[in-house]
Amino acid sequence: MSSTPLPPGLQIEKVDERIMTLNVGPQHPGSGHMRIIVKIDGDYIVSADPDPGYVHRGEEKMAEYRNYVLNIPHLERPVIHDSCNVLYPYCLGVEELLGLEVPERAKYLRVIASELNRCVYIQYWLAIYGIFLGHSTMFMWPAGDRELYIDMLEKMTGARVTHSFFIPGGIRNDVPANFEDMLLKRVNYFEKRIKEYAAIFYDNPILISRTRDAGKLSREDAIRLGTTGSTLRASGVNFDLRVKEPYDAYGELDINVPTLKEGDAYARSKIPWLDMLESCNIIRQAVQKMPKSGSVRVKLKPNPKGGNDEVYKRVESGRGSLGCYVVSRNAPEPYRVKLSVGSFRNLICMPYLLKGEKLGNMPAVYWSLNYWPVEADR
Amino acid sequence: MGTATGIIKALNSGIKHLAVKRFTLRYPEQKLKMVGDGYQFDPSTGVGIAGYKGRHMLFHDHCTGCQLCSIACEGVAEAISMVKVQEEWKQNKKAIMPQIDYGKCVFCGLCVDACPFYSLYMTNDYELSSFTKEGLIYTPAQLQVKPNISQDVELKFDNPRGATHG
Repeated sequence: MSSTPLPPGLQIEKVDERIMTLNVGPQHPGSGHMRIIVKIDGDYIVSADPDPGYVHRGEEKMAEYRNYVLNIPHLERPVIHDSCNVLYPYCLGVEELLGLEVPERAKYLRVIASELNRCVYIQYWLAIYGIFLGHSTMFMWPAGDRELYIDMLEKMTGARVTHSFFIPGGIRNDVPANFEDMLLKRVNYFEKRIKEYAAIFYDNPILISRTRDAGKLSREDAIRLGTTGSTLRASGVNFDLRVKEPYDAYGELDINVPTLKEGDAYARSKIPWLDMLESCNIIRQAVQKMPKSGSVRVKLKPNPKGGNDEVYKRVESGRGSLGCYVVSRNAPEPYRVKLSVGSFRNLICMPYLLKGEKLGNMPAVYWSLNYWPVEADR
Repeated sequence: MGTATGIIKALNSGIKHLAVKRFTLRYPEQKLKMVGDGYQFDPSTGVGIAGYKGRHMLFHDHCTGCQLCSIACEGVAEAISMVKVQEEWKQNKKAIMPQIDYGKCVFCGLCVDACPFYSLYMTNDYELSSFTKEGLIYTPAQLQVKPNISQDVELKFDNPRGATHG
């Protein structure tokens, strides 16, 4: 500081000598398509401020200019790995608006498709979680095993990721001839494979020492902050919409929702893995109970019109509760479509969890929230 | 479980995989087999037939130039435009047929659902890369050609050590 006197009216503010501000992202791969403004004191995080909004694509506004069927390809884009589950609440809502009754076989095939998609999404997330903890085997294994289900979905729906499979009134096409045989082979092998993850990842003392007690979220806080999905269930709350508000064929299936009590990053990373094991059980049950033949789709009129009505439907996606609010005003296009996504809810607890953590532990806590930036921004 | 046992178990589960054949699909040499001849749609029942959603195939003898595929695509990708053709068909008085820009197409297959005359299907062909943007635009004459593909590798689960390709 120079010793010359300051001009009149000018003051110099005192600078904090300990606190430094870091911008993690938006280009940094560790943050996804978002920025986290982190203030650090030495190696410890004093405050973390998530700054989403870099991948806002206006899906909700776009939906107001397209009819109920043409909305399908772009409404599944928020999470392309989980595209069936993202589209699910929209389809359920539009079916209620248009008064369509989904055939029984289509209900079961939808359950199978959305469970396969949940596994594909969780495997992708697990691969990212592994590589950001420095565990490159955990990147390779899920990315390879994910291929089994992607291949199955490709044979079932015709596309690897963005399936455009669900439609108001059922599903787009019936499954190929030896579908059940192909599916069960893959499900059995997949289950055997993901059980091997326990020794290398979940029971690994190095991972446990890194994530145990990191970013602890108590049961009360999880409920108060409105978290959902794996984040909520890792804190000891048994809440799953597949059981609490069964939609389509989930009511007829026996589902054991995995729940853990610890509420730390380790528990949050383990819940999706337990979810995948449960998904394999659900698929097997659904294949058994599914009607072997029958219609899969209600024939739609061209440009179907909804009445003067509104509807809110929600489903359990890979990241938690995912709701869709559709308003219809006697037109072929919806008047308003609003998505209420699980990622955005889970983001709220991030500043609380990162406070007091080491900077190096930020990816471990941040990715354990099961947060998908593109879905949060829509 | 002690720390040492845990680490040894983790290492062991990785070492076991040294003897397992790789799961990798050697892509340009091997290609995964698809189901059927591509996504098709039956307008009489309103249900599609399972298949891969790849490059389209246009049947000139069925196309009436009704533009329904083009209208469906306007809300999705604006990839389809109707162009004049030099052919004479009695069902196609206007002599227009769809031309598809694969730089824009998202392969949702809603154009196939829109066609009521069984003239637009999708095929198993997914290798559409081109050096120019113009090369991605397929004219009705190019869409008429049946793709020449050899996809024969399937996932095998019979090996007790792990699944492999081919």
